[in-house]
Amino acid sequence: MSIVLDFNGKNLAKSKTMDLHYLPAKIDGDGEANVEQYFNNYTREATECGNGILTNSLRGYPLVGEQLKVPEQYRGLVLQETEKSINKSIDRQLRLTGVFEEFTYWNYDKVPSNGDAYRQALLMADVGQALTQHISEQDLEAEIARNKENTKEHA
Amino acid sequence: MSDQEDIEIKQENQTVHDTDEKDKKHEDGDIKDTCRISSLKTLGPFIAAKENSRNTVYLSDVPDICKDKPCMLGVDEAGRGPVLGPMVYGISYCPLDSKKALEDLGCADSKQLTEEKRDVIFNDINTKEYATSCIGWAVEIISPNTISTSMYRRSKCSLNEVSMDSAMGLIQQAIDAGVNIAEVYVDTVGPPEKYQEKLLKRFPSFKITVAKKADSTYPIVSAASICAKVTRDHALKVWKFPEGLVIKDNAFGSGYPGDPVTKRFLADHIDLVFGFPRLVRFSWSTAENALADKAYDMEFDEPDTDKPKYAGTKLTKFFKGTTKSGEVIRDECRFFKQRHLGNVMDF
Repeated sequence: MSIVLDFNGKNLAKSKTMDLHYLPAKIDGDGEANVEQYFNNYTREATECGNGILTNSLRGYPLVGEQLKVPEQYRGLVLQETEKSINKSIDRQLRLTGVFEEFTYWNYDKVPSNGDAYRQALLMADVGQALTQHISEQDLEAEIARNKENTKEHA
Repeated sequence: MSDQEDIEIKQENQTVHDTDEKDKKHEDGDIKDTCRISSLKTLGPFIAAKENSRNTVYLSDVPDICKDKPCMLGVDEAGRGPVLGPMVYGISYCPLDSKKALEDLGCADSKQLTEEKRDVIFNDINTKEYATSCIGWAVEIISPNTISTSMYRRSKCSLNEVSMDSAMGLIQQAIDAGVNIAEVYVDTVGPPEKYQEKLLKRFPSFKITVAKKADSTYPIVSAASICAKVTRDHALKVWKFPEGLVIKDNAFGSGYPGDPVTKRFLADHIDLVFGFPRLVRFSWSTAENALADKAYDMEFDEPDTDKPKYAGTKLTKFFKGTTKSGEVIRDECRFFKQRHLGNVMDF
């Protein structure tokens, strides 16, 4: 089984930019939502908590959040699958419904910090970078030379 | 040449604009001014001009006599039980020897008074010279949004705490405004002793009386109660839904969970994702139950209640890590685990 991303990477710039919220809740539903009237209408700045800190609430639960950019050199994509086949051997197809450069990150009654799972998980970007970086012959030799140098010093 | 023309036209426009504004001010009189409440008529516009998802505090002018003579101050609330709309805390104060003015106003148990009678008394408090010269008042409108978010905080804040904080905040504001307070009378729903203790701690120099049904016993509490009740009623009347709902005459009933009109309002205005408009107190079980059946299930990351207790390294730890056949089970690398990163083959 494979997953097909059904869009042309060159057209990303022309795609619709979306207004997204990262919510600290699991919502057991899928569909349209009156985000503008029921939520965005109530977003307020809470400068007393820090620069750029926002407040709102969801079903009465207090939220504290901030506007975040996707990591540098990354692009935010919203993909949708019309129908997930029960048959696992059939190829899956994901369509592009929008792109985003930033989104609003929300915590449940907690000012966003480096302790947030989201911020910690972003380290994946660095790990990915390290794993995929091209290493040339010269880089390798330089590294070996450095290691030798170190062992000598310690000896 | 053309420059001059331009200027002339501008000036003309300016004057036209000016007269327009003057006319408007003249027509609407004091209603246009939404910063002060000077009569019953100005209460609605004042509330309507504020954000209804936040709390609003209003203090009347302090009569000069209240700054000199020792005063009594009454505290009461309105709209504690309803699932809809704000809860309003009210205080009123007057010199100890101005009881006559309270009696003339007809301040008695506010629940015994009709809505019309309360409106009349509220208007009198703000317009009649014999009242404005010696009686001052203040209210805090605690928005339903604030009530929900306080009660749903990670460390829950009960409605009683919200209430007491509001009451003490209002008293403090009266002190700051220069009111010479000597005696404080508070109406309470819960046990009076705890409340009294807390108030005495914060305001040790006052004679403080906390009692059930104080609004029928003490006219000054009754006056506070009227201010609170009238404010709550008007807050509901002028409620505008940022959600864009329009309800004819804002007819959503008393807001009490038993009221059939309120029940129907709740049943008819459920949003699958967001639940209710923020007129509703989400933290009321009536609201919770209504959503449990009709809206999407929603689960928040709740505070960790049972913290793992560390009791030293377990002996059995050393037998873990291999299966019976001797295969080594590899734990996920801690570095990745702590950062919530893991392998995903299927999603």
